[in-house]
Amino acid sequence: MPRSSSSQSKVLTPNLTPMLDMVLQLITFFMMLVHFGSRLEGVNRGVRLPVAPAALPGAGMTVDQLSAGLDARGNLLVGDETLDPQAAAAWWKRQADARRAGLELLEEPGTPDSAFAESGDLPTVVVLRADRSASYGSVRKTLAEAQSRGFAHFSLVVLKREEP
Amino acid sequence: MSVGPDQMLFPARGVPAEGPDDGEDASARGYRPAPPEDIYFPAAPMLDMAFQLLAFFVLTFRVPTAETHLDLLLPTTPAALPTASRGLARPTSSPLVDTDLENDLIVRAEADELGDLKSLRLGEAEIPSLDALGVRLKRYIELLGNRPLRVRLIADDRLLYEPAARIVAICSAAGVATVRLSHPGASP
Repeated sequence: MPRSSSSQSKVLTPNLTPMLDMVLQLITFFMMLVHFGSRLEGVNRGVRLPVAPAALPGAGMTVDQLSAGLDARGNLLVGDETLDPQAAAAWWKRQADARRAGLELLEEPGTPDSAFAESGDLPTVVVLRADRSASYGSVRKTLAEAQSRGFAHFSLVVLKREEP
Repeated sequence: MSVGPDQMLFPARGVPAEGPDDGEDASARGYRPAPPEDIYFPAAPMLDMAFQLLAFFVLTFRVPTAETHLDLLLPTTPAALPTASRGLARPTSSPLVDTDLENDLIVRAEADELGDLKSLRLGEAEIPSLDALGVRLKRYIELLGNRPLRVRLIADDRLLYEPAARIVAICSAAGVATVRLSHPGASP
C-alpha cells in the first residue's frame, strides 16, 4: 500500500528573523538601561527619604564617600547599627581620624599646598540618608557634628518623586 | 571588495560563459539572470547567543531609582561675610547687574506644633509658597550676575526634614552656590 504524501517527513524551517529582531531590540533596551557599579550604599528600609521634586540630578561619583543614615528619631544609622548621639560623635571622630591619617600618608612631604593641607577640610563626601520624619534640628546637628570633625562636603539623599 | 560575475572562476547560474566562439553580447541574446536561490541563514546560533545576552541583562537589570542628591558645601572655616554697604557709589558694568546687592541671604522657616512649615521669609519679606521662593531667588541671582549667592537657612529645630529638604532643593535648583543650615538662635 503506498504511503500518502502527507505522512512524508518534511524539514520545517521556521522563520526566526522576527524573533531575532525582537530579541536584539530587547537586548538594546536593557543595554541602554544597564548601570554597573551603582549599588546604593547605606540603604536602610527603615528610612523613608523625603520627596523634593525641585531637586536636580546629583553630581557624579566621588573618590571617597561616607554613607550614613538618620532615622525618624534622629539616631545615626551606620550599617546595621543604630548609634545614640554619644556613639555617633565617637563614630564621626573615628572616621575623620582614619581619613586624615590616610591623607597624611598619601601626601608627599614637599607638597604642603594641597587643599587638605590648606583648609584642613576632608575631601570625603558624606552621603546622608535622613528620614523624612526626622526633625530639621537632628539633621542639622548631625551635619554640624560631622563638620566639627573636618567633613565639609555633604550630600543629602532625597527622592525626585514618590516611589511606589 | 565585491566579486562580480565576470570575476568568478566558474560560470554562475544564469550568466552565460564567455568563450572564444561566444562573440555575441549576452544582452543582445536576451539573457536575464535567474532569480537568486534562497540562502539558508542559520539563525539558531545567533538566537542562542542573543537569548543568553538577554538573560544576562534581564537578571542584572534594576529599576532606575528616583533618588537624587542635594550637595552642600559646609567648610569648617566659613568664608567671611561681606561688611555692610558704606554707600559708596561704584560704576556698574551692566545695567542689569547690581553690585550693591548682598550675596548672602537668609531664609527663615517657621514650623507649627506638628513640625509642618508655617511661614517662610526671604530676608524680611514674607514668601507665600516654596515656588515663589524659587522664583525670587532666580531673579536675585540674575541681578547678582556672576557673583555667587549664598543662602543661610534658619529654621525651627522641630521643623520636619522633608520641608527643609524641599527648601534646600529649591535653593539649589535656583542656582544658589551654597546653602548653610543654622538654628533659630543663630545671628544673621
